[in-house]
Amino acid sequence: MKRKKGYRYFLAIVFCFICIHLVQVQIDYRKKLENLESALVLMPGQMAGSLILGGFKGLAADLLWLQMETYWHSGQHYKILPLLQAISWLQPSYILVWTIGGWHMAYNIYAEVKTPEEKQFWYQQGIQFLKKGLAYPFNANKYDIYFELGWTYYHKGKDYPNAVKYLEKATKYPHPDYVDDVLAHAYEKNGQIDKAIKQWEYVRDNYVAFYDIAVRMINDLKTKGKATP
Amino acid sequence: MKKMWLIGLNTFKESIRKKTLYIILIFALIVIGASKLFSFLTAEEELKMIKDVSFSAIEFFGALIAIFGALYAISGEIERRTIYTLVTKPIRRSDIVIGKFFGVSMIIFVNFILATIFFLGLLIFKKSPPDVEVLKTLLLIFFELILIGSITLALGTFTSDAFNIICSFFLYIVGHLTSYGKELIERAENIIVKGLADMLYTLVPNYENFNIRDKIVVGLNVSWGYVGYTILYGILYMCIALFIALYFFEKREI
Repeated sequence: MKRKKGYRYFLAIVFCFICIHLVQVQIDYRKKLENLESALVLMPGQMAGSLILGGFKGLAADLLWLQMETYWHSGQHYKILPLLQAISWLQPSYILVWTIGGWHMAYNIYAEVKTPEEKQFWYQQGIQFLKKGLAYPFNANKYDIYFELGWTYYHKGKDYPNAVKYLEKATKYPHPDYVDDVLAHAYEKNGQIDKAIKQWEYVRDNYVAFYDIAVRMINDLKTKGKATP
Repeated sequence: MKKMWLIGLNTFKESIRKKTLYIILIFALIVIGASKLFSFLTAEEELKMIKDVSFSAIEFFGALIAIFGALYAISGEIERRTIYTLVTKPIRRSDIVIGKFFGVSMIIFVNFILATIFFLGLLIFKKSPPDVEVLKTLLLIFFELILIGSITLALGTFTSDAFNIICSFFLYIVGHLTSYGKELIERAENIIVKGLADMLYTLVPNYENFNIRDKIVVGLNVSWGYVGYTILYGILYMCIALFIALYFFEKREI
């Protein structure tokens, strides 16, 4: 009798495992579909390593972020770089890592180095880091990195065609008002005056805070053909 | 059913008398509360860290409560010989095991609810009321904790306490790594190795399925479909744990 019951439990367990296998296939498929997969990461450093082992990657990223803050405030900008790489590795969907990282390279380190070659190098590094962030589908569906790229091209690189390209992409996703404002400036600098006027008209009609500026800009562009200093 | 409920209630009452669980809960609340220390960061960063620390604390300390709560549920009774008073009564052994499972689930639930209320209060205090994604994360953490508890309970029917603790923690760590193993399985060329690895992937509980907090804190959305499948996965695994517990407890000479 006991043996019979034992077989029954055994069969029930086998049946459950078959179901589990099928459910796991569905879960894996949905993980892929919804960008929930975790990449294999092996980090140096005991603290981060052991936290990853326990499934606490977010916490490990937070600790590295806090360390990064310390380096930042003490002016040790170069030490931030490996930490940024590590955090972006641990939590690639954490958009702030990409935007802050790109800005940090293209602005802070850029300001620290002396020669024009070095400055160009760090400007490119910043741009590349931002573009790397766009490789993750979740980040590519938000305005943040597009705007940061557009702004860096516009402000730091004076590369207006690329600035327009990325700022236009940024406006395709939900975004704050200043994105449209920067795009209008970029159109003007890129020689697309008609588009700049249209953009300012859009800003004037949609954002109360920018109303006065937009009216002045439209007027200047129509009369002088130039509005941005 | 009434018998199971009474056994469960008794297991719960017995557990709340233990100070260990209170200490673990207090630690969890301290850690969650300490996440307020990140106020020097920007609001967005601070909120992310509060959520990260709180989710991790609820899960980690919850896992400790689940393991220690379930550890003595059956083996403790056998050790103290109080199990004799139960098995000599007209109660089926399966009622005892399922009753104990209910009791352990109640312990986990009460501790989980307390930590969750504290965490949600902190979010409301930070003017960021919890959204449905936060609730999905908490729901999956809860099912993960129940699963951990049921596995410890099952191990308790045929192993010593020391071995049970080691095994439960080992499974907890390995269970969070199996999804990484999946990548290696896909790369394996030898069909036998691949088959064995695939089997291991199914046999070891994949706790990483329940871990969506890393995605939620950065604003990713998780579908109810995913949550539903993961809960189903958890329930199926709990059934396996209970079948194992029933088999060994019925076979045991008491």
